[in-house]
Amino acid sequence: MAFLNPSSPTSEKLEKQFVEFRHHLEESGNLRERIQAVATEIDSVTRIIYASLLLVHQCLPVSEVIEKAKAQIGVLKEHYSRLSEIVRECPGQYYRYHGDWKSETQTVVSLLAFMHWLETGTLVLHSEVEEKLGLIPTELGLDVDDYLVGICFMSNELPRYVVNQVTAGDYDCPRKVLKFLTDLHAAFRMLNLRNDFLRKKFDGMKYDLRKVEEVFYDVKIRGLAANGDSVGEKQAQGQS
Amino acid sequence: MLYASKLSLIVMAPKPQRIRHLVGATCEGAMRKARTMSTETETETETSSMKDAFSKYADYLNNINDKRERVVKASRDITMNSKKVIFQVHRMSKQNKEEVLDKAVKVLAAVNDQYLSRLVKELQGTDFWKLRRAYSPGVQEYVEAATLCNFCKTGLLLTLDEINATLLPLSDPSVEPLQINILDYILGLADLTGELMRLAIGRISEGELDFAEKICSFVREIYRNLTLIAPEMDDSSDMKQKMETMLQSVMKIENACFSVHVRGSEYIPLLGSADTSYPLLGMPDID
Repeated sequence: MAFLNPSSPTSEKLEKQFVEFRHHLEESGNLRERIQAVATEIDSVTRIIYASLLLVHQCLPVSEVIEKAKAQIGVLKEHYSRLSEIVRECPGQYYRYHGDWKSETQTVVSLLAFMHWLETGTLVLHSEVEEKLGLIPTELGLDVDDYLVGICFMSNELPRYVVNQVTAGDYDCPRKVLKFLTDLHAAFRMLNLRNDFLRKKFDGMKYDLRKVEEVFYDVKIRGLAANGDSVGEKQAQGQS
Repeated sequence: MLYASKLSLIVMAPKPQRIRHLVGATCEGAMRKARTMSTETETETETSSMKDAFSKYADYLNNINDKRERVVKASRDITMNSKKVIFQVHRMSKQNKEEVLDKAVKVLAAVNDQYLSRLVKELQGTDFWKLRRAYSPGVQEYVEAATLCNFCKTGLLLTLDEINATLLPLSDPSVEPLQINILDYILGLADLTGELMRLAIGRISEGELDFAEKICSFVREIYRNLTLIAPEMDDSSDMKQKMETMLQSVMKIENACFSVHVRGSEYIPLLGSADTSYPLLGMPDID
């Protein structure tokens, strides 16, 4: 076959393009590896934070637990600023590599949200998480989907917390958690979700809500929660 | 925190549960009452701030989902019309080559003006990658059609830069223009080999052996070059499958060329003659 043998000029042009492609893909492969390395480190920090937060289930004082976990946020911040530096090398391609730090970030959000809730009893907002992590929206913002998934993860933690708090004698806890979770669930229902991962996680939230309702009911029916707290009681009743 | 003091009480008095609770309750009762009064109003504001925040997220999600839908629609239109180009190219025969290809080029230009331009207008900046899944199938099909057309006309591979140059006039000069990314281009090329296989078989059956051989070496070159690239792709599992299909296509063309070559002497009077009564004689089984 005389056409296009490997030394013909047409073949050269073709080959030149593919050589360029290979360079490009090798570069993006390297970039991805660096991103993945940071993501792994983020992952190990989240493990440390999670392990310290788990102590709330063993009824250690909240302030003590939070303090320990908070010490790690600085480390997280450093990792995210490194990530941001890497991503800055490929402007506009945030979402090309997003998959590599997505699940780690969702966990980070869930932990920060849980800590924030333990401290203040309120929901941490999207912009507040960005602030806590030192993220700059124009460079490496927090994806709204990741934030919402992270919040769903946090809700999974609440039933266990309620159960253990009640066991430890805090009979007011179910009412507060129930109120919070009911509000959160109502807020989520404002969103028009697609049939994606977030939708699945949100669907799971109702089981957390039910479990907390059950605990609240168990406590209430036995009159354990009735200790001079009628204002809150009525409120919670109206909610459930 | 409240829990803290109560919990320390529990720790210090490991006796009956009920008592423990009562101790905690009595000494904190008054304090708690005051506290709950204030928190109730706080939680009201908290609830509404949560609602405010979520209505922002809802707007964001609605916008991006609507946009995604529009992009998917544009992509589907691009796919449909690019397929028309490909079918038009397959209508080619020895006699009407120019005419058929000219028409294919025209249809392709229409895809550019009507459908790709819609996609280009929809996408900006980070959307290129965020919504890539939504438009990738259409773009791949377009790459396939454009490269097929170009190969039939010139015998050369239409490069990514050349395709992207044709997209520039479609976009508003003030915004960053949509450029087809390497990945979609390569995936489109991988599909191109399937079409070229069909084309080669058709050419052989019409006796255009030279053209078929030209296709054969072209497809080989593409396959050879892509083997180096495939493992480096962002999502290499998809590409792996395409590589296998591509090899099948290459081998089908080679086998067809082989049959004609080996048994060629028997068909020479037939091949190239106007007699098309046995067009597929001597061909291996091909779907």
